[in-house]
Amino acid sequence: MEDNATLVAPHADEVPDTALLVAFSNGDAQAGRQLVARLGPMLFGYAARVLGDHGEAEDVVQETMLRLWKMAPDWRQGEAKVSTWAYRVTMNLCSDRLRQRQARPQVALESVAEPAADLASVVDIMTARQRSETLDAALSVLPDRQRQAVVMRHLEGFSNPEIAEIMDIGVEAVESLTARGKRALKKALYGKREELGFEDDRKQP
Amino acid sequence: MTGNSRDDIALETLFAAGRSERPLPSGEFLDRIAASADAGAARPAPATLPVLRLAWLGRVFAASGLSGAAALGVWIGFVMPEALDALTLGGDDTVALATFLPGTDLEAILNE
Repeated sequence: MEDNATLVAPHADEVPDTALLVAFSNGDAQAGRQLVARLGPMLFGYAARVLGDHGEAEDVVQETMLRLWKMAPDWRQGEAKVSTWAYRVTMNLCSDRLRQRQARPQVALESVAEPAADLASVVDIMTARQRSETLDAALSVLPDRQRQAVVMRHLEGFSNPEIAEIMDIGVEAVESLTARGKRALKKALYGKREELGFEDDRKQP
Repeated sequence: MTGNSRDDIALETLFAAGRSERPLPSGEFLDRIAASADAGAARPAPATLPVLRLAWLGRVFAASGLSGAAALGVWIGFVMPEALDALTLGGDDTVALATFLPGTDLEAILNE
């Protein structure tokens, strides 16, 4: 799996995020632009996965960055990584939006039928795009916390301790969330077997 | 291989696809956020140190002005008493005292 440390931590010859934030708070707009270039795509990818909506993801990332600019003068070095802080804000904003979405239909995971076909054989014949779309659809039925933990662990590539820091919970709680999230994902995928073509696949010679 | 482990492999295949098909923001959106960075950096700095220093100096001057002026007057009177003659009313101390003590019949007091 891709290690998110390569996405978050600057290379040796790069200025650390914290230094950029301090420079920004001293009026250096270019430092702010560099932070946008580093954090913007990461936060957007995360929010888009969690929310399943690019427009809402843009709103969330924009709000996150505005809050970052606002608190830049009060940033205390050594307290947290800028990226960790930004992910936490984005995560909370995503949670707010997910809570407001009462209309989105949720699959009753407990009532999903037992597997009637082999998921692996279906996934094998999918294109990369189909696999990604299938994953997004399955993620959308997960409870908020499980969804965010699974996205951070398996798509963003964060370690469990990093997720624990972002979510402000213990590492064991993260492990529990991701394990339950993966089980729920499998159930959701089997619940969508007709959409995914399990039945058609079994009819093929 | 058990069905469960095959499911895990299938799930990992989906995750790998998800990582390679990462949602990307538009350039226009990133430009918009960058513009917000420009605006944020351009806003006036809140209560900077130089301003605080000037305010502090102002308070010091105000507090020390009265006592400083009094001390300066004492010093001038001590080292250059003749220079103050020009400021008195013709050197008539009685008139000057009478002026500073209105309503007091100084002549009557002196005659007692």
